Amino acid sequence: MTYDASVRKDAAGATAPTGARPFWGRLVQWGPYRAFAALATASPRRQFAILATFPILWLLTQHLGPMVQMGRVSLLDAYPVAPGTPQTFTLDNYMRFFGDSIFWMPFFRTLAFATILTFCTLILTYPVAYFLARHVSRRNQMLMLLLLLVPFWVGEIVRTYAIMILLGNTGAVNLVLKWFGLIDRPIPFMYTGFSMGIGIVYLTALYMLLPLYSALEKLPKSYNEAAADLGAGAWTRFRRVTLPLTLEGISSGCTLVFLISTGFYATPVLLGGPSTTVFSETIAGFFHVAGDQWPTGAAFAVIMFVTALLITGVFQAFMKALRKGEKA
Amino acid sequence: MTKLILNRRHFMGTAAAAGAALASPAYLRRAHASGGEVNIWTYNDFVPEAFKDQFEAETGIKVNVRLVDDQGKQFNLLAAEQPNPTVDIMTVAGHRFLQFIDSELLAPLDTSRLSNWGNINPTFSESDWATINGEKWGAPILSGMEVLSYNTELVSEEEAMSWDTLFSEKYAGQTAYIIQDMMSIVMLKMGYDGNMVEYMDDPEKAAAIVEEAKQFLIDKKPLVRKYYDSGAEVQQMFVNQDIALGHSWNGPAAALINDGFPLGMTIPNEGSYGFVYTYNIANNAPNVDNAYTFLNAILASPEIGASMTKASGFISTYKDASNFLTDLEKKSTSFPEEQLANLQFFRAEANELKYSLVDPAVEAVKAA
Repeated sequence: MTYDASVRKDAAGATAPTGARPFWGRLVQWGPYRAFAALATASPRRQFAILATFPILWLLTQHLGPMVQMGRVSLLDAYPVAPGTPQTFTLDNYMRFFGDSIFWMPFFRTLAFATILTFCTLILTYPVAYFLARHVSRRNQMLMLLLLLVPFWVGEIVRTYAIMILLGNTGAVNLVLKWFGLIDRPIPFMYTGFSMGIGIVYLTALYMLLPLYSALEKLPKSYNEAAADLGAGAWTRFRRVTLPLTLEGISSGCTLVFLISTGFYATPVLLGGPSTTVFSETIAGFFHVAGDQWPTGAAFAVIMFVTALLITGVFQAFMKALRKGEKA
Repeated sequence: MTKLILNRRHFMGTAAAAGAALASPAYLRRAHASGGEVNIWTYNDFVPEAFKDQFEAETGIKVNVRLVDDQGKQFNLLAAEQPNPTVDIMTVAGHRFLQFIDSELLAPLDTSRLSNWGNINPTFSESDWATINGEKWGAPILSGMEVLSYNTELVSEEEAMSWDTLFSEKYAGQTAYIIQDMMSIVMLKMGYDGNMVEYMDDPEKAAAIVEEAKQFLIDKKPLVRKYYDSGAEVQQMFVNQDIALGHSWNGPAAALINDGFPLGMTIPNEGSYGFVYTYNIANNAPNVDNAYTFLNAILASPEIGASMTKASGFISTYKDASNFLTDLEKKSTSFPEEQLANLQFFRAEANELKYSLVDPAVEAVKAA
């Protein structure tokens, strides 16, 4: 089939309204615009540059900009300061972390919590993702995903309060246990590592579920059928076929959940107890205290950021090696 | 219980708003319709809604309230914004004045522009902490104190008369407190000056006292259910019966009492600290004239002071404000004379020394 531009032009001319041209019509006929459009779209490279400008500007101003500012503040001797007060650059804020062991416990506790909770989230969400991708008809998958997404339409704080309502001394869990006569006095779930863990797993589950679902959904059913034909049992099929082929989803999900978990603040504050203080609370302390402590808080935030990136980098490299090993 | 409290709160909030509206004095009618806006940083319920609505309607000045929950956050925000702040009026506790003044964040208050200044109880407006460098720096609006709050169905008043109960094995896992505030109280309980004014010339002794208080709190850490930060948190814990007693500010505790919750509060025998919230005008405030109009209006009548007390639970600094409180509200915002004798106000003179020692100690307690 060939395209005859003259036919289209004639047809358009026959049906075009006789009134004033709309704004866009006038714009495309405007000389300077036409000159600019010709210049900007003259080559694929220029087209790419035009398309990439806005996202790059967004990344620079909304993502990289604040981080650069945080890095700058972390190197100042005082911030914020009264107008006219001189500021100098220093590494003292970083040295404060390494020189005072009281900050190490919340730091390592955060990394330990994040690692354990990432693993727990993986274990809990994998079966859900598997069921969704492999046992729910395509027609119902979107509906199920939508149902799983519903709790995420409300904010972190609201969902955290929902956990409080569930786990409090007068919460639903204790009431049910009491109703069944299993307990006489409420179990103090709240303000413990348990309540904090439940909250973080609940809040991060979706970030694990979606990459896992995506990986499992792409996996052809014929692979498992072939393995079954060759005599592999259910566990062997999962271990030798499904799991290796979903390592990429596991890697993505774990990375997301781990990074998010290291930065949680409101949930540990609201659900945690006296022995679950995490590093984000320590950092926040420096921003709350009246004075010029922001640089120390910023330096601590940079330390956690870099450490979390290093850990995820090592994890990604390990997973990559694992995937290569499986392929070999 | 929660439903009852919510209903009562809604009812009382409505009643307070209606009362304030009915009691609306003539000050607003006298005010000129000047227009513009006034930007205020303050705590929840410190600007009564009914007053705000009427002030806006009669002066044409739009009141923009930004809620804060911490003195430090206000300081940092204002320091970051100076010399072009977005705020006109902020809410500084009297014992934090010095820090704000030293950093040139506050403007001295010109009380000659406030014809209603005399409506403040002189106990608050003319106190020694209220005048610094020969100037007034804020209009006292509400007074608060560190109290021991307790569920009256679980803890006796006699037990609640000592801070030791808060650290007893009997109530292990049923207590909560703000560590920063408890550091001062523990020092006082141990017989030291929690304001640290006495040790300004002896930093080593000050450090030793803070170390002792820190060690005490670390030793007692297994007994506490929760270190908290805001009044809403401790209210939530009492309502959910997660705690039986705790240290709190009197405001949040009084609000629960007024809601009908079985809560009591004491100033224990070992003593405690009080503080006064003041409205202050920021240095280089963009709407100074409107700020003075607002301050003069909010100081105009004891009914407004009473409505602030009803909403926040803190004690009004206005003369005769208690005449407009119900018996229950009076009870929840007053203490027996013998308990008040145990109270002293926070002082600011040694704040630099104090917080340079206390802040790391707080981190150490959290980390332990």
